[in-house]
Amino acid sequence: MKPSFAVIGNGDSALDIRFDAEPGEELSRRIIVLEQAIKAQQWEGVQDLIPAYQCLTVCYDPLACDSGLLSARIEQLTGQVLEYPPELARQPRLIRLPVCYDAEFASDMQAVSEHTGLSAEQVVARHCARRYLVHMLGFTPGFLYLGGLDPQLHCPRKATPELRVPAGAVGIGGGQTGVYPQATPGGWQIIGRTPVELFRPQGERPFIAEPLDRIEFFAIDREEFDRFNQDALEITLLEPAP
Amino acid sequence: MSMRFIQGGLQTSVQDFGRSGMMRYGIARGGAADPMAMQLANLLLGNSPGNPVLEAALVGPSIEFQCDISIAITGAQFVLTLDGEVVDNDRIIQVKRGSTLSFGRLVSGARAYIAFAGRIEVPPVFASASTHLLSGFGGCCGRAIKKGDVIPFAETRTVGSRRLEGEYRLRYTQHPQLRLVAGAEEDYFAPDTIDRFYSQVFKVTAQSNRMGIRLAGSALRCGNQSQVISSGLCPGTVQIPPDGKPIVSFVEGQTIGGYPRIAHVISADQHLLGQLKANDRVSFTRVSLAQAHRILEGKSALLRRLEAELFVQW
Repeated sequence: MKPSFAVIGNGDSALDIRFDAEPGEELSRRIIVLEQAIKAQQWEGVQDLIPAYQCLTVCYDPLACDSGLLSARIEQLTGQVLEYPPELARQPRLIRLPVCYDAEFASDMQAVSEHTGLSAEQVVARHCARRYLVHMLGFTPGFLYLGGLDPQLHCPRKATPELRVPAGAVGIGGGQTGVYPQATPGGWQIIGRTPVELFRPQGERPFIAEPLDRIEFFAIDREEFDRFNQDALEITLLEPAP
Repeated sequence: MSMRFIQGGLQTSVQDFGRSGMMRYGIARGGAADPMAMQLANLLLGNSPGNPVLEAALVGPSIEFQCDISIAITGAQFVLTLDGEVVDNDRIIQVKRGSTLSFGRLVSGARAYIAFAGRIEVPPVFASASTHLLSGFGGCCGRAIKKGDVIPFAETRTVGSRRLEGEYRLRYTQHPQLRLVAGAEEDYFAPDTIDRFYSQVFKVTAQSNRMGIRLAGSALRCGNQSQVISSGLCPGTVQIPPDGKPIVSFVEGQTIGGYPRIAHVISADQHLLGQLKANDRVSFTRVSLAQAHRILEGKSALLRRLEAELFVQW
């Protein structure tokens, strides 16, 4: 179904295209297709496009374009793009992320067990059973916003965030799960750690995933964690080429 | 052709205009916290406005130069000496090989910019020389400069002595009035909360950095906190988290946020955020979108005028 939308100011140098539809794969697809369409226009002054669950933010340089004209163009293009089924320009991929759920990396497993009433083994099994959708990247470089956490695993964030969560920490915060790409402060319940670097600024592929890719977690032991080689990351294409 | 750091200072880093097009990957634009000051220094030297500079925050560095080079220092005012002789900011300083530039006491503002007639040689990351301090990449090894670091110059020049005068000299107060446009979620706040936001004086807290400026004041409650779904967050945005204390997103801020946005600091005034330090005060005034754009055009015209005047002098 075609969602309705509105173009709203986000400060004096950005516009939000907000959609009136539930967050999910269908809407995320539409948002990414619209992002591609706007990018293809090469409009003067457009500097950044930020996709999110229900919104696409268009950042512009007010000295290089007229905001009223840009808003009208966006409105028109969005209406046109929504007329068609959202076909992606690139094939989504499935990335399988190894996670060591051993106690030494799972500082909050007990809290998650107590909250959910599940044993550590059950938490791991449920966390590994789902295929998660990458809605967007953001917050910090390479952080993946994943959709699809098992409702049984929903767990409140910590009342006081930790000052330092290590890079690779895998956590649950509310209805979300994800991986901290870098050591940062964080309030999620930590249940494991991946040896995969999610952000490699000097690497050939600085980010492991793009919006609409899928992520699966699989359990590894401590020895496999230590031996992990970044080039061995399992990536498969999901849909037939467009 | 290089410079060696005898002292690194508190947080000295290589900066330019930052990187655009990367916000979709969670990478904030970054770059100079006060791009206005950076541009003035570069224009004075005849450089392109975004030529990489050093940004020195609160406690500046001591630098020994291993080549002859002309430099200019703008932005925050420090007591500056070159081989023990006091030198001024806002003018070209002729540095001789073997000379040492030292930053002393901070007089006003928070961040000074050291521009060079030449080019600092650091490997670009995502097409920018700027250091992303919070994420640890770009600039000199992805971090603030430390004692003993050496940064080479790819090229050096000397240019005739000149100074910035009158309106081209930026002055910073410890209580700026920042101009804002209405926030994307302004209607989530009760009218008296909005009145209190615009009428009170906020204090800048020590937890402020290039990621965000945290303000203290009487707490502002939002009735609709849980209804905000995370979306694109731009520099200058004033968010109200559950504790009611405003956070102004800054150059290395998160690219996605989920707190209600009460207002946005206009683009033209965002460079003033770069000159705030702990215990400074700020107050806010509201302007329309059209006014915000006109003020930005005014500041841009000032830079173009300076460029034209300096060109005539050559």
